[in-house]
Amino acid sequence: MRIIFTGKLCFYRAILFSLLLAGWVALPDAHAQTRRITGEVTSEENGTSLPGVNVVLKGTTTGTITDADGAYSLQIPEAGGILEFTFIGLVTKEEEIGNQSVIDMTMAEDTRQLNEVVVVGYGTQIKRDLTGNISSVSGQEIQNVPVPTFEQALQGRAAGVFIESNNGKLGQGIKVRVRGSSSVTASNQPLYVVDGIPITSQSQSSDDSETNPLADINFNDVASVQVLKDAAAAAIYGSRASNGVVLITTKRGKSGKTSFNLNAYTGFSEPTNRTEWLSTAEYVELFTEAALNSGYDEEFIQTRFTRFGAGDPASWQNPGSANYVDTDWQDEVFQRGSVNQVDLSASGGTDKTRFYVSGSYSDQDGLIKTNHFSRYSARLNLDQDATDKLKFGINLNIARSVNDKVPDDNAFSTPGQIIALPPMTPPVDPSTGELSGNYTLYYNPLLNFKYSFNTASVLRTIGNAYANYQFTPGLTFRTEFGIDYLTQNEEQYFGKETARNTSAPNGLGFNGWVQVGNYTTNNFFQYAKNFAEIHDIEATLGMSYQESKRDESRVEGQQFPSNAYKQIISAADITLGSSTETMFSFLSYFARVNYKFNNRYLLSLSGRIDGSSRFGANNRYGFFPAASAGWVITEEPFMNFTETLSFLKLRASYGITGNAEIDNFAPLGLFTGEGGYAGIPGQRPSQISNPDLRWEQTSQIDVGVDFGFFNDRLNGELDFYLKKTKDLLLNVNVPATSGFTTQLQNVGKMENKGFELVLNSDNFVGNFEWSTSLNFARNLNKITDLQGQVIEGGFVNRAVEGEPIGVFFAPEYAGVDPDNGDALYYLNTQNTDGSLDRGTTNDVNLAQRVVIGDPNPDFIGGITNNFAYKGIELSVFFQGVFGNQIYNGGGKFQSANGDYFDNQTKKQMNRWQNPGDITDIPQARLYEGNGTAESSRYLSDGTYVRLKTVTLGYNFPASLVERLNLTKFRIYASGQNLLTFTDYEGWDPEVNTDYLAGNISQGNDFYSPPQARTITFGINLGF
Amino acid sequence: MKNILNNTIIAGCFVMLAAACGDKLDIKPGNSVNDEQALETSSDIEALMVGAYDVMGDEDLYGGNVLRDAELLGDDGELFWDGTYVAPGEVFNKSILTNNDQAEGHWIQSYEAINIANNVLANLDVVDEEKKDRLEGEAKFVRGMLYFELVRLYSKAWNDGDPASNMGVPLVLTPTSTINEESYVSRATVAQVYAQVLEDLQSAATLLPAENGFFATKGAARAILSRVYLAQGKYAEAAAAADNVISSGLYALNSSYAAAFNNTSNTPEDIFAMQVTTQDGSNNMNEFFAASVYGGRGDIYVEDAHLALYDSTDARLALFYEDPDVGGYRTGKWNDQFANVNMVRLAEMYLTRAEANFRAGTALGAPPIDDINTIRERAGITPLTTLTIDDILLERRRELAFEGQLIHDLKRTGRSVGALPFSSPKLVFPIPQREIDANPELANQQNEGYF
Repeated sequence: MRIIFTGKLCFYRAILFSLLLAGWVALPDAHAQTRRITGEVTSEENGTSLPGVNVVLKGTTTGTITDADGAYSLQIPEAGGILEFTFIGLVTKEEEIGNQSVIDMTMAEDTRQLNEVVVVGYGTQIKRDLTGNISSVSGQEIQNVPVPTFEQALQGRAAGVFIESNNGKLGQGIKVRVRGSSSVTASNQPLYVVDGIPITSQSQSSDDSETNPLADINFNDVASVQVLKDAAAAAIYGSRASNGVVLITTKRGKSGKTSFNLNAYTGFSEPTNRTEWLSTAEYVELFTEAALNSGYDEEFIQTRFTRFGAGDPASWQNPGSANYVDTDWQDEVFQRGSVNQVDLSASGGTDKTRFYVSGSYSDQDGLIKTNHFSRYSARLNLDQDATDKLKFGINLNIARSVNDKVPDDNAFSTPGQIIALPPMTPPVDPSTGELSGNYTLYYNPLLNFKYSFNTASVLRTIGNAYANYQFTPGLTFRTEFGIDYLTQNEEQYFGKETARNTSAPNGLGFNGWVQVGNYTTNNFFQYAKNFAEIHDIEATLGMSYQESKRDESRVEGQQFPSNAYKQIISAADITLGSSTETMFSFLSYFARVNYKFNNRYLLSLSGRIDGSSRFGANNRYGFFPAASAGWVITEEPFMNFTETLSFLKLRASYGITGNAEIDNFAPLGLFTGEGGYAGIPGQRPSQISNPDLRWEQTSQIDVGVDFGFFNDRLNGELDFYLKKTKDLLLNVNVPATSGFTTQLQNVGKMENKGFELVLNSDNFVGNFEWSTSLNFARNLNKITDLQGQVIEGGFVNRAVEGEPIGVFFAPEYAGVDPDNGDALYYLNTQNTDGSLDRGTTNDVNLAQRVVIGDPNPDFIGGITNNFAYKGIELSVFFQGVFGNQIYNGGGKFQSANGDYFDNQTKKQMNRWQNPGDITDIPQARLYEGNGTAESSRYLSDGTYVRLKTVTLGYNFPASLVERLNLTKFRIYASGQNLLTFTDYEGWDPEVNTDYLAGNISQGNDFYSPPQARTITFGINLGF
Repeated sequence: MKNILNNTIIAGCFVMLAAACGDKLDIKPGNSVNDEQALETSSDIEALMVGAYDVMGDEDLYGGNVLRDAELLGDDGELFWDGTYVAPGEVFNKSILTNNDQAEGHWIQSYEAINIANNVLANLDVVDEEKKDRLEGEAKFVRGMLYFELVRLYSKAWNDGDPASNMGVPLVLTPTSTINEESYVSRATVAQVYAQVLEDLQSAATLLPAENGFFATKGAARAILSRVYLAQGKYAEAAAAADNVISSGLYALNSSYAAAFNNTSNTPEDIFAMQVTTQDGSNNMNEFFAASVYGGRGDIYVEDAHLALYDSTDARLALFYEDPDVGGYRTGKWNDQFANVNMVRLAEMYLTRAEANFRAGTALGAPPIDDINTIRERAGITPLTTLTIDDILLERRRELAFEGQLIHDLKRTGRSVGALPFSSPKLVFPIPQREIDANPELANQQNEGYF
């Protein structure tokens, strides 16, 4: 209680401070010597007035925005200066004010991207002046992509950002790695910041079937996404920046006539792929052979077949009979899903007040039956110029999302596992007409479809209010206060028909509430000044405080009178109840100085001091500095001779970032009260202390070049980086004889190095437009020091020195002994001379485990080609992942040459049968484990290239659009994941089974449903 | 001029704000207690002791899996493992890998409970005087019982080679509050571990009260002691310990065999049982042995070879049932998922006293044949008139089937498991790979047959 109070107290102080400040700054500043300047801004191309243009006294923050008629009026100091006109997509113009009191300006369209305004931590910068590495993706690029969460839409579009869905379930976990993994134990996911406020992005699910809080964001509201990748860009986020920072900026209104935008699409989805399983005849053949080979008689195995066939021998004996069954279980769980979304936004305003308002509804039926995701969201972004000096505004987003989930991949009830059922099993019991029950080999997941539900409903509010006050033309103060409030209700009910799975004979209900409150305040000064024409200085200095509290309560009950009762009030037996709370806080101070000399030499220094409740008492505060420099070579006089090279900048940066994503009370030695026994209270030690625990520290060096040719029609970036992480936050395995299994320590080192290439090209301009953008990245991850620790995860993943994180470590499969059909493994033991013994053995215990593969890709990339001709637009986007491997943890059941009764992959029919047979499928043997040990037998190449998005759109001609009183009228058809090129034999190479997904456990498949291939048809209207 | 002043004020405010917020980085956990505050009062230590039972009742330990694996490892055709979990399947097939997660689970949970017991023993000074003996006894009971479990799972049997040189398990007798050099312990010998087990259990038998609810009692300590003595072939001591329990008069055989099982509270026959409620505790014997109609997975079938051990009128035979869904036989001992897991029943004490007396040529408490007939009569089969050691062992097998005793009874009597002699390295669990990786002291101490 005391703690919460202090926390609140601090907030009150922050608010009080802000109010004081607001009151104080609102006083008119009577003594300043100023004069007024006015004018009108028009388009150079067609002379129409341009609203929303930024008009700024250069080197200061004195500025305004043109109104609906393109007019502006600005109070400037008597001394005058240079007036700068900027607008995204237009060439920036400057004008010496001198004695003028009216300055009209024409502005031309800018095809170059270097003047793009890029959002950076606590501010913005012109891309041209950047010395750090930031990937920008415009909201335009990800609009209307028919996926639940915006990271999925980003996939393949940001260089060096690896994005992978766990599986094809809706609204679930997504792995994002910015320049590789930097931690073994702490999170490797980036920090997400929406309009300056860090938001909750971790799964809030009560089980292994993850939820994704980022799915609450309607990404049609997003103006741009910036991924801060190098230390120069990210270090201002200090101890949470090692994994990169994703800045999401939402759309804001511009003054002028209110414009409305309506987007709507509808479509359908289906699995990208299906796999082939044994037919009933093949199943009978293989398993009869397996049983006989293992000394069982035909009667034994036939009894099983008949049992699986719902007790009817005809189900497998008589292909001609009406009772013969040959089920493809994939048909029973997959469906043609649907996607629908509609959103309407309005933006506009006066010269003092600007707004962006939107409402959106999205609804998706997954490719798995019963899997459903819907989201309602509304947004209001409001900016008010109270005086010339004081601006304030709010951003407010309210969303409700409802996710009808399916169980995690490891549950018998999960739809993906249905493929384990033998093909002679009828989905519906012919004798009862009911779904097949207990004669199925395993629990029948179809029962869950019919008799259970698992719904996570989220109410999310992300909002912040800001005030911006300009003390002097060069100095402003900005204060922001943000709230991210997430309330989630998970409701589950499993009817008595599911008892074989739940062990609850008369129904089981679960109800869990989670509330995550995230409160952040940012307060910072910004200073900008131009000296003597050639020195530009920008500085930022401020503090930030974040506090987050998570409360959860759960209750579970059993014994329901009937399935008509689903709420726990009807449960005769309450079998579980709990409430928990956890909290963390960060207190930070940050500063940044950018200096530009002669428009040519760029220098930037930044630093952040971060204190966190998560760190040990002995190491509470960390310092995270960064320095970077740039040289715009094309500004040099000696470069004037070249016409082709229009822009060339060299960049270099170095800095230190941290990672603090660990359990909230990780340094403490803890006892838990979860030690009660038969109703008597108890306690037990739960965590061993480490008061020295501190953040993980990543130093990163980045060297890059930005270039533009032919007036920047061809432009790009090339970056090389080296990220070295030390003091890894590592759950170090300790001897279990201590009573503990792990201790979180700062041990070990890891490095990532690689390069990123971005190329943008306007191949054709004019009537027929063709542009290409490409990104390509390589990252090499290596654990350089774990002090000898070996940490295992997944099925055969491990973290071990000298290897990339999560390498697959298992015996190496050597195929089949042609003489007897035994599965063989390479010994791989060390000979006395140090070489490996490549002899083989049929005893997997004698085979040394070795590195057999790596789940981390060697290369990732994406390429987009956009074509436009007279209103017709075509966009073709390929995305690829290269050089990684996938381990199929289900292989030992699915491709086991008839070891157990699971239906087998078609390939198992190639099993060894007679001496001399050459095959890599061992002899079929029941229960003998012939080749079923975890080994490289179940490893595959994971490389894939995917036709990620194709969109064909048509913009109706202006004449028609105007006749309809519209400003825009576009229709389109779009396809997602239309084609996948891969050698992977499972459902889909984009896979990371949800119940294991983690830092070490990567690249695993375990009955994980495939991605969706989605076709949509949509319309965009502007009016 | 005013601007400079203003800025100074702003800067001043800024510093004040910053200073005011510094203390909220101290956040106390809401769900847990800092270790410095956890063990301050007598009731803290009492709660800690309860925590040891909670850990002992974990599914990987006496919540069932240790008992299940003793049956799977000792089986030769009397049951059939038909489940998909890899680890028990390896145990059933006698081809355990070093990363077997049950080998890991038993080890981890046992040492977690031992560490709690060590914490209790190290903090007895804050315990109220009248509770001291009981708590000390309970802690020693838990520690002794678990070291006995560990040494018989992970080491060669007492009667297999030389206990004084065979490797036992690491002996840790003090609580761990930090990880330091002392946390890295190598394996003691089998003899050293047994010596510690005897010391703890004998001390527990002295300190514990005769009655203590469902917690450890004098009787429980003596019952476990009788198992230790049997394992060591110390028959006089085994007979004495078992006799002590029987003659205490605190326990009685239930009127029917079936009544000994599926109970949500202890019966007069239970000397010690792990408590399971709908909210707490695990009954993994139900999970693996029971049919799905009883909430189990039905992974283990009972084969005809086992059913053939019984006379047709045996009440113990009647407890088996045919799975209504998938056919095949199941043991009926574990049909209630919320029932207690039997650990030691009085019936075992009769069988132990009989065997120990028989082997020692004594008749402490009763002649062996009387004890065997006591068991047989309850089962509803005819009394014996003559007795052999095989009769005793068969009766023990019938009476205690699928209660987690099989492999240990086979080993101590030198009987083979199918083709594997009792001393086969395949019948000894591997030291978990994670433990060898985490503890360099164990680098060259893996069991024979594993690497």
